[in-house]
Amino acid sequence: MEQLTTIGLNHYLTISAILLSLGLFAVMTRKNAIVVLMGVELILNAANINFLAFSKYNGGMEGVMFALFVIVIAAAEAAIALAIVINIFKIFKSVDVSSIDSMKE
Amino acid sequence: MHSLIQLSIVVLLLPLLSFVILIFFNRRLPRRGDFIGVGILGTAFGISAYIFWSVIVQTYDPAFRIAWDFTWIDLGNVPGVGPLQIKMGIVIDNLTAIMLAMVTLISLLVHLYSTGYMAGDKNYGRYFAFLGIFTFSMLGIVLSDNLFAIYIFWELVGLSSYLLIGFFFEKDSAADAQKKAFLANRVGDIGMWLGILILYSQFHTFSFEQIYANLAAGKFALSNAWLTAAGILLFMGCVGKSAQFPLHIWLPDAMEGPTPVSALIHAATMVAAGVYFVARIFVMLTPDALHVIAFIGACTAFMAATIAITQNDIKRVLAYSTVSQLGYMVLGLGVGAYSASLFHLVTHAFFKACLFLGSGAIIHAMHHEQDMRWMGGLRKHMPWTFATFTLATLALAGLPLTSGFLSKDAILAGAIGFAKVEGGGIFYLIPVLGFFSAMLTAFYMGRQIWLVFFGESRTHLKPADNHHADHHAHDNHAVHGDDHHADHGVHEVSWNMRAPLVILAALSVFAVYSPDPLDGAKGWFMKMIPTPATVVGEANPQKGALLAATPAPHLAGIVSPSEVVASHPAAEPVAEEHGVASAAAGHGEEKGGHVYSDPRQAEIVHAGHAAHYTAIYISSIMVVLGIGMAFVVYVFRIIDPEKTAQAIRPLYLFSLNKWYWDEIYEATFIKGSIVLSKILSWFDTNVVDGIVNGVALLVRKFAFANNSFDKYVVDGMVNFTAFTVNTTGAVLRKLQTGKVQTYVAMLILAIFGYFVFYFTRLIY
Repeated sequence: MEQLTTIGLNHYLTISAILLSLGLFAVMTRKNAIVVLMGVELILNAANINFLAFSKYNGGMEGVMFALFVIVIAAAEAAIALAIVINIFKIFKSVDVSSIDSMKE
Repeated sequence: MHSLIQLSIVVLLLPLLSFVILIFFNRRLPRRGDFIGVGILGTAFGISAYIFWSVIVQTYDPAFRIAWDFTWIDLGNVPGVGPLQIKMGIVIDNLTAIMLAMVTLISLLVHLYSTGYMAGDKNYGRYFAFLGIFTFSMLGIVLSDNLFAIYIFWELVGLSSYLLIGFFFEKDSAADAQKKAFLANRVGDIGMWLGILILYSQFHTFSFEQIYANLAAGKFALSNAWLTAAGILLFMGCVGKSAQFPLHIWLPDAMEGPTPVSALIHAATMVAAGVYFVARIFVMLTPDALHVIAFIGACTAFMAATIAITQNDIKRVLAYSTVSQLGYMVLGLGVGAYSASLFHLVTHAFFKACLFLGSGAIIHAMHHEQDMRWMGGLRKHMPWTFATFTLATLALAGLPLTSGFLSKDAILAGAIGFAKVEGGGIFYLIPVLGFFSAMLTAFYMGRQIWLVFFGESRTHLKPADNHHADHHAHDNHAVHGDDHHADHGVHEVSWNMRAPLVILAALSVFAVYSPDPLDGAKGWFMKMIPTPATVVGEANPQKGALLAATPAPHLAGIVSPSEVVASHPAAEPVAEEHGVASAAAGHGEEKGGHVYSDPRQAEIVHAGHAAHYTAIYISSIMVVLGIGMAFVVYVFRIIDPEKTAQAIRPLYLFSLNKWYWDEIYEATFIKGSIVLSKILSWFDTNVVDGIVNGVALLVRKFAFANNSFDKYVVDGMVNFTAFTVNTTGAVLRKLQTGKVQTYVAMLILAIFGYFVFYFTRLIY
């Protein structure tokens, strides 16, 4: 019981795993490219939670540093990805990832 | 270099110049350039006459000899052969000087004569070119100082005679004759070359002078049999060229050539080359080789004479008479009558050239009728030809006051002397055959003269159908296409054909050669061409002793006192002196007489002199007998020739068919070669081709196997690889959907798979 009431590492990891699963689900199943990008954000944040949780229980500051980096890179990634999506939309008149398969074969 | 040598080189090269000019430019020259041939030969004769004058008339020295040579090819030291150096050179002695003058004179006369005889021929210019190369080759043989050079010119003579004999090559008979002549000559030349090689293997030189010096010094390492063999092999060259038995068959057929060519080839040059060559190698012939030569000569002389009596073609009679006379010359050399033999060579060259040119004139006048049976009565129409032809005939028959008498008598005297020295027995066969042939010669020449020049014209007797066929067979006019056929009158020939006849007939008189009409030995010729000392003398002390013991007392009485035998006891060489009467024995050498190192030879020469009058008597009787028989048969017709021929039909046919030599060769060598070639052909088709085809089949089979391997194994592997790659690609291409989400799914699957793998490893 104590195990459950006291928030420990496992809780963080569980949350992270759920977030990752949700993110993966969004990336793999959604057709809208923007929703896929949102799934990617979820995955990144799941990783961030892991970094921070391990950082907290390990006592160092490396995890925090990594989490900050990830956030910065995620921001950059979001900017570039949205630009790509806009360009895809300009060419294909659609942001439906399942219909964009011109790289086939 | 001696000036005479330089002049002789000019003489040698002039006919070659004529050949080169005429063969290339005859069509661009006026008259097809015949004046060039005649002019060049005239120049050559002029120079030769000067050489003759300087050597024979001015120098008048039996031992005269100048030589010059240069290294032609130096191959250094050839492994297995030794030093190989081929020299070329020129030697001029009395014999060369005489031959030079003779060859160029007869060639000049033949050139001149041909301007009339060959006029209108379509290959007129080429004819003169061939005469030029022929004369060049012959002069080369005359001038050469070594065996190698002689062999080269020997072959050139063979080639040029081939060209001349087959001059009317459109006729099959002429083409066959030229092939026959060439092949028969080749057979002899092979032997000659082997003989040259035997000598070369011993002495490493081709030069006559060095070979003889080495032989005299006894450096011949092999046995005497080898030396005899070398002599006989070299003589084989002569057998081929001089038409001796058994290679005489080409000469009568060679009558297919133009008649002036017959005069050149068969009187003065080619056939004389063989005799000349034997004279050049005379000093190295062993007694055994000389015996062989003597017997072959005697057989040839007799056989050809018996054939000549039944021939009807005017040129064939002369051809067989040539063979017969060449037999005499060879016989003369064989018995050691060296001077006499060469004397006969020269006299025969002139009177036989005269006869051939005369027969050419007759054939020309008779519109190319060659069969004597349909001639007759030409005496009135052709007085010049008749006179010259008769004079030459008398010389050939050997009647006194002619040149032929002097030389033939000297040979026969030598033959008697030889038989005596050799001890009689079978050796007497040689003079007997010689005398018998002399009789036959007189007979057939008498027959020819009568049939051609006397009696009434028998042209109309010629069977009509036969006439036509015969006419074409002998017709050279068809080839040169002139228009004589319209005019059937017989007429004397023009001056350019008459002049050579007169000159040649004049040279058949005894006075040209000797002041004494009965003894050639008194003339300049026999003095200038003394018998050379042999270098292989068989040192037979017994014979030497015999000679020394009996210095021929009975002979001394018969022979003029000028014949003095200087005979010191046995071992001393025998000195013999000609010309100067009452010379003491010791003066022999000083006064220009020469010394025989070989007693046998001295003995033969001496016995020959001794037999001189015997020979005169017998041969005169024989000649009178022969001519008398001709008169009895053809003039008085006491004996009917046809009935006689019927009575002795087998003999008549034997002679008419030339002893069946052509048939014998046909049955043996020709059939033999055909059978051999058939066997070889069978072998070729079945065995050789079988092997080749077998190999081809094997290769084919192997190639097919290889092909299958290539097709199924190598290609299979390549195709399988391609197929695999293709299939794999076809499967894998399905994975590349182009959809980002599929890739993500695969990515996650891979990571998942990796984790499963990693943790499974971790657990176990």
